Amino acid sequence: MTKPHVLLLGEIVHAKAEWEALSEVATLSVCDSSTKEEFIRDLAGKYSDVMAVYHCHMKDAKPGAIINKELIDALPPSLKFICHNGAGYDMVDVNACAKKGIIVSNTPGTVSDATADVGMFLILGALREFYPAMTSLRKGKWNMGAPISRDPEGKVLGILGMGGIGSAIKRRAEGFDMITQYHNPEPLSDELAAGAKYVSFDELLATSDVISLNLPLNAQTRHIINKDAFAKMKDGVVIVNTARGAIIDEQALVDALESRKVRCAGLDVFEAEPQIHPGLVANEKVILLPHVGTRTYETQKKMEIQVINNVRSAVTEAKLLNVVPEHISLVH
Amino acid sequence: MTKPHVLLLGDVLHARAEWEALSDVATLSVCDSSTKEEFIKDLAGKYSDVAAVYHCHMDDAKPGANINQELLEALPPSLKFICHHGAGYDMIDVNACTRKGILVSNTPGAVDDATADVNMFLVLGALREFNLAMTNLRKGNWNAGVPLSHDPEGKVLGILGMGGIGRALKRRAQGFGMITQYHNRKPLSEEMAAGAKYVSFDELLATSDVISMNLPLNAHTRHIINKEAIAKMKDGVIIVNTARGPVIDEQALVDALESGKVRCAGLDVFEAEPKIHPGLLANEKVILLPHVGTATYETRKKMEITVINNIRSAITGAKLLNVVPEQIHFAP
Repeated sequence: MTKPHVLLLGEIVHAKAEWEALSEVATLSVCDSSTKEEFIRDLAGKYSDVMAVYHCHMKDAKPGAIINKELIDALPPSLKFICHNGAGYDMVDVNACAKKGIIVSNTPGTVSDATADVGMFLILGALREFYPAMTSLRKGKWNMGAPISRDPEGKVLGILGMGGIGSAIKRRAEGFDMITQYHNPEPLSDELAAGAKYVSFDELLATSDVISLNLPLNAQTRHIINKDAFAKMKDGVVIVNTARGAIIDEQALVDALESRKVRCAGLDVFEAEPQIHPGLVANEKVILLPHVGTRTYETQKKMEIQVINNVRSAVTEAKLLNVVPEHISLVH
Repeated sequence: MTKPHVLLLGDVLHARAEWEALSDVATLSVCDSSTKEEFIKDLAGKYSDVAAVYHCHMDDAKPGANINQELLEALPPSLKFICHHGAGYDMIDVNACTRKGILVSNTPGAVDDATADVNMFLVLGALREFNLAMTNLRKGNWNAGVPLSHDPEGKVLGILGMGGIGRALKRRAQGFGMITQYHNRKPLSEEMAAGAKYVSFDELLATSDVISMNLPLNAHTRHIINKEAIAKMKDGVIIVNTARGPVIDEQALVDALESGKVRCAGLDVFEAEPKIHPGLLANEKVILLPHVGTATYETRKKMEITVINNIRSAITGAKLLNVVPEQIHFAP
């Protein structure tokens, strides 16, 4: 009996042995289509019997980077599973996938620690205004440019979207004596909340000293932090974003930094990355990282293995291990 | 009866009300001597009846910055207490003070959280090699050329000198999944160690993934981290210093970074600060701060109040609240 066909869109860098081991249950192909047009043709040709796809977070220009309706229409009927490498999957149109009977998985959990480490680094860096201190030193001015700043101890950390990453940030913030509150579409169980107070969106904005964005990007959350939201925040609030850039209206953030409504910000993601609003690059207080959330050997390997495990489960048992929330109702 | 005379060497910036309140029990003077020579003259003149000194950590050039044998000989016989603003007091010759019957206090406790916050920021920044990523972004290169780094989870943090700051660091490191071991001259009680494993100096060097300096600077600890010590460490070790620059031989550290023996470093203090070894400045991986350990409004105010409380206790009770460890046996 022919083994099912699995297609890799992107690259396996760390878990090569685990990927190769899939060949015991599947035929493995690595997508070599050079353009989007060629890819569409190959989907009707050499990839027309593909059952499961290992999908990487790639540059927009690459074939298969964005799984939108147009591409989904061109996918072969044999394709039932898309296993995404990443916690955020906003580049995959999950509604269109559902309509075509394609189930999608992502990599929750494995990303939590590394992303929360970046989140906590940015919270400290923004509260303590470490960036101008570092640049003052590098320019030969020692601490002339280093402001007296604020301690995290006793400050209220408001987590918008407390899932795996948000909970991991809360655990870290506790070591710095921060008090955590959160807003989710619905409150968590006592166990998952682990002592964090549930508040409404408006209360989170009005009462937090630091606001950390840890929610997924979708139609409801795009620009959820906009000019109106900033107006509801405390004067001198600190904003940190390790989720997706487009959750914040970047122009509104630049304006709020200029007016000092926002005292400082720590950002790992940007609305139109890799382009960054010049108002942010010119700001010497803010602490900025180039989307390094999960960029460690250990975490990248863990994520690759998680995708491979989802592919194996798809091929051997026709089900995924980490179905995205939007598809949970479609599977049994 | 004349109130005792208290002299401020430096500045009180945040706890001005508390400083002024001391005038109910003392006559307060702010040192206005412009040179060291003038200061020596004033000590025999207008300051010749001073009973207690509020001593700030100042630029070496300032009169009274370094309380050495020479200055001690010029101090009036009335002076019995030197209350230092800072946890580290290596600029005060404590042995010479003891010989002259002068007791010294510092500000332990008040500095712990803020310094540990800087310490943890540097541990993360060095492990994750964030400085290179931040610099790259600001140059317009996004994350091109930024290599993958390493997670703190599961790594061994070796604390050299686990006192108040070291214990505060351990609490923070736990939230990031790090395992803490420490070396002190003597093991701590189980309660104080709070689960950290006591190891010998050599074992700390040989088995730690990250080594954090949290010990005081004195004759025994100067250059305790030198070429020989570094040779005993793991390949690719991370070194972090928020204690005093001279505990590390800066040249040896630069050499070890060059060879890759030390993968990255995070430093808030330098051997000859504000001068920094050019080999460190030229290194884009290392994360450097200009001695901002306690540079927050909240912590500086707490520290100032601690000194003021020691002054008040000296004036009204002829004793200090925070006598330095070397003098505990001499204090009433």
